[in-house]
Amino acid sequence: MDHSNPPPSSPFIPMFEAFRAELDEHQDRRERVIKASRDITAASKKIIFSLQRVRKLNAPIPESITRSTAPHWQVIRERFSTISADLQSINGWRYARNITGGIQEFMESLSFQYYLEKQQLITFDNAQGMLKELGGEGRPVELTADDYVLGVFDMVGELMRFAITAMATSGGLPGGESRATAAPRNVLSDLRELRTCLEMLDIPPGPPFPRDVDKKMEVMKTCVEKVENGLYGLVVRGRERPKGWMPDLEGRKEEIESF
Amino acid sequence: MADRHGMVNPGIFEDLQARVDQDTTVRDELKEIIQTLEKQIRTAQSILSRAHSTPTAELPSVVTAAQDAIRHEIDSIKKLAEATAGQPYYKWNGIWTRQMQDATFNVLFCGWLGGFAAGQESKPGRLLTIEETGGIMGVPVNLKDRDAFHLTIEEYLHALISLVDELARLARNSVTLGDYRRPLQISQFIKDLHAGFQILNLKNDALRRRTDGMKYRVKEVEDVVYDLSLRNLVPTD
Repeated sequence: MDHSNPPPSSPFIPMFEAFRAELDEHQDRRERVIKASRDITAASKKIIFSLQRVRKLNAPIPESITRSTAPHWQVIRERFSTISADLQSINGWRYARNITGGIQEFMESLSFQYYLEKQQLITFDNAQGMLKELGGEGRPVELTADDYVLGVFDMVGELMRFAITAMATSGGLPGGESRATAAPRNVLSDLRELRTCLEMLDIPPGPPFPRDVDKKMEVMKTCVEKVENGLYGLVVRGRERPKGWMPDLEGRKEEIESF
Repeated sequence: MADRHGMVNPGIFEDLQARVDQDTTVRDELKEIIQTLEKQIRTAQSILSRAHSTPTAELPSVVTAAQDAIRHEIDSIKKLAEATAGQPYYKWNGIWTRQMQDATFNVLFCGWLGGFAAGQESKPGRLLTIEETGGIMGVPVNLKDRDAFHLTIEEYLHALISLVDELARLARNSVTLGDYRRPLQISQFIKDLHAGFQILNLKNDALRRRTDGMKYRVKEVEDVVYDLSLRNLVPTD
């Protein structure tokens, strides 16, 4: 009745030793990918943080800011280039759920910077090309359409922050100032256009991508509305705005009380 | 250029929608195949269940019927492979991995009962290796160097645990059928499998939880053997 000691003579041991080697290899790779994903996420967040200091839209990023983002781009480049070996062929999708966090955050910083420079949404092909280049020695990292979309959702939050800060510091929405032709565009009109496109996407339910989209869709809508509310506050109170005044983002309850 | 396009180049979302639609088409096709496969798995399962009430001597007819039923499963698995040919395997395998485990279990149990002897003498108690199982199912196993449909190690291990559960039940039912030899065979077999699982470094996932439950099956069958030996019912030869 002693079952605490398995018989060492089990004929299946060699078979299980082979399984163990395979499973260990899988587990080690999985951990490397997760680690890289975390590093890329952290570096991307720092880039976004610096980019939020930009004030002028549709212009090259000021040198003072590129100086502070450069080392983080370098980290991202280095991490993608080392981890790309673990994401080749069949492993690209096998570890997709482990690297998706990093890639989405990378997409967010990439598309945010692209927007600040060109006032446009970076195309999927363009973004895919950028990521491919980051892979080491001819081993490109694939950007999936899913990660692209999820990254764009996250970028909306950054545009919201950018717009609110700009309104608070300059009293207006950035963008569109120098355009003589066509209807002027600003951050809010761009946000609305993006919102329409994202809402138009018809994604049937089923795990896991649609679940992620559902979650981000709500956040995205809130972001657009925060900018709309901010602009409303700006218009309503117009020039009475004291310097450094921040538009209220959570509705107007407090204003009503203080008036 | 920038002004004419506005914020979003309309091509971007047209392209994304086309990709989503493509995936939906594939997913719908897969779901249909999987529904059929599930039905076939249940059919094979019900035939294999007769092993619990069939005396050992009459087992070959059950095994033959089960093999035929399993061939239908294999047809569906082939369709899954065809429907996703040229697509990334791990993009889709989450959809069918459960059914692959069940189908693999059916093959393993049928093999244990003496099925899929492939020219050799058909005798119960045999463990089909992952390679043999893949051969029977017509799919490669543990693919690493190319991206295609295959049977994974995890799926095979899940099926092994299901086999242990089923054999623990069979050990008791064998006694009911008057076969006092088979519990001994099962006891040794699942002890050996359990010893194999012990050397794996499993992380905290479904496989780990199920593996942890194996020791109870080992003990259940040991208790059956103990009951038999206490009453001098264990065959000696």
